[in-house]
Amino acid sequence: MKLTDAFSYAFGAVRLRKLRAALTTLGVVIGIAAIVALLSLGQGFQNAITVQLQRGFAVDTLIVTPRSEMGMGTIEPGFYLLVNDTEQIINNVPEVKTVVAVIQRAGYIKAGNISEMVTIIGVNFTEYMKIYSTFSAEMGKIPLNPSNDTVILGARVADPWENDTLICGINDSVELLWTVRENHIPVNVSYTFYVAVILEEIGGFGFGGPSDRSVYIPISTAVDLFGEKCDQIIVQLKDSKEETINTASEKIRELFGDQVSVISSTAILNTVETVFSTVKIFLAGIAGISLLVAGIGIMNIMIVSVMERTREIGILKALGAKNRTIMLIFISEAVLIGLIGSTLGIGFGILMARVFSRFGFAGFGGRSGMEATGTTAMTIAPVLTPITLIGALTFGVLVSVLFGLYPAWRAAKLKPVEALRYE
Amino acid sequence: MKPVVETVNLKKTYMLGKVPVHALRGVNLKVYPGDFIAVLGPSGSGKSTLLNLIGALDKPTEGEVIIDGIDISTLNEDQLAELRRKIGFVFQFFNLIPRLSALENVELPLAIAGVSRSERRKRAIELLEIVGLEDRMKHKPTELSGGEQQRVAIARALVNNPRYLLMDEPTGNIDSKTAAEIMKLVKKLNEEEGVTIILVTHNQFVANQAKRVVYIVDGVLKEENT
Repeated sequence: MKLTDAFSYAFGAVRLRKLRAALTTLGVVIGIAAIVALLSLGQGFQNAITVQLQRGFAVDTLIVTPRSEMGMGTIEPGFYLLVNDTEQIINNVPEVKTVVAVIQRAGYIKAGNISEMVTIIGVNFTEYMKIYSTFSAEMGKIPLNPSNDTVILGARVADPWENDTLICGINDSVELLWTVRENHIPVNVSYTFYVAVILEEIGGFGFGGPSDRSVYIPISTAVDLFGEKCDQIIVQLKDSKEETINTASEKIRELFGDQVSVISSTAILNTVETVFSTVKIFLAGIAGISLLVAGIGIMNIMIVSVMERTREIGILKALGAKNRTIMLIFISEAVLIGLIGSTLGIGFGILMARVFSRFGFAGFGGRSGMEATGTTAMTIAPVLTPITLIGALTFGVLVSVLFGLYPAWRAAKLKPVEALRYE
Repeated sequence: MKPVVETVNLKKTYMLGKVPVHALRGVNLKVYPGDFIAVLGPSGSGKSTLLNLIGALDKPTEGEVIIDGIDISTLNEDQLAELRRKIGFVFQFFNLIPRLSALENVELPLAIAGVSRSERRKRAIELLEIVGLEDRMKHKPTELSGGEQQRVAIARALVNNPRYLLMDEPTGNIDSKTAAEIMKLVKKLNEEEGVTIILVTHNQFVANQAKRVVYIVDGVLKEENT
């Protein structure tokens, strides 16, 4: 029997039992829709996060932090990075262009009767500007020689309600508060600063770089208030070649006797991508289970169908059909169910992804999730690659065929005499 | 002249649970081209078993079925299937595929054999004209009378140009008037088209239409020339 004839014969058989075929197909539709929706949303989510990360990033930077907890006994207790360590780096590592020490504390800002939680960051404004283009003024001008009581506000700090109602203006005084421990007793400390600049909105997570929910004070003031220990040193390289990044990272690590960890922005992005690949596989796996259930449904219904059509199979055999012809007919039915189911499933999957991206992640993209790091609303556009679509289609058909194999084989193995006698 | 089908000491034993049932106990039969043989016997006499064996639907327990000079017990399943394409079957309950039209039912053996669409359509129409159903071609079996359905079945059996036609109680499920018409057609096919026919029945009237009648009782043949 020719393939096209087998197919049209199978099509006639499927069409005869519309409801049953529709229900069987529904299983495949749900499975494929789930796979397509989850994969495209996962990809969309990954893209969104990557974009957010990149906003706060400069690709040619390294972040140096003390490698405190991770060490395997090699770390001396009480190892700290000091603000002066920047000089060591710039003098010893020729790949380095600029170095900025960062001191940061959690604290509050108080303007009038409004109080907000912020991250207080001490940096050298001039150098910081060179590294991060996002550190630029919306109002005011970033001072090159700031006085000790100068503060720069992140966009979201100045405008916490996101409606252009500022908590204070340029040159206004604000209070910064934080907690210190004196003899194990927490004491609140507060100082008065004058607002020099309100930054442009940055968006993103501000990972390593400037963020909308931070306030910036001169590094010298930070040293006076918080001490010499710095939380991280940001290093800008002369270029962003992988080789430069690796050499410089290695040199910096050696410089501090392997007691620091050096993270490149690129490495973080790579890590995020790896994590997301795993998450996507996991999601697809969950969706795959529903397809497995659909497959069992196909097998079930096809076994019933083979039993019902035993006599028909006998007739076909009496008319000269070989075992493989019978097999071909029943597999064609499975392929048909798989094809229709997958096509519809892809359609529904795209629809589901669209609907979810609009409603399902609203809370996630809004203020609740990443407020502390200061993010603006994140939109997740589902991403559909041709590979996802072709893959889903292939997978749907493959599962259908796989589960149709056994019923088809049973049909093919029927003895013509017995099949013809079957009532 | 060589027989188209020949059985030599043909035996078939079934196991009914643990009890062996000897359906055929050594049947010798020769069918020559142009023959019209009726195998007459009561139910349970083994006539359907004989028909299944000479239709290559089943293999003998002992003895030989030689179709066109080939012993069928030497053939594998695929070869048997191909052999069946040279044999036309007509069943008591017509055994048409209900969802296919008369025309499509007649085309089916050709489709199975891999004949092209246009070729098989032409051939099927030819056969439906021979059995007198040229104006009922688009009808489904359920829209046809018993007699018409059996005509479709006969057309289907002949569409492959078979070496011989096997008929299992072809009039068993239709009224006597229609049965007479069907038998007239069968006789005409044998006499005018030269179709070799082996017919199994328990109906004396039907058997009498044949050129030669053999009786089967308890799995043994008794010949009687008419």
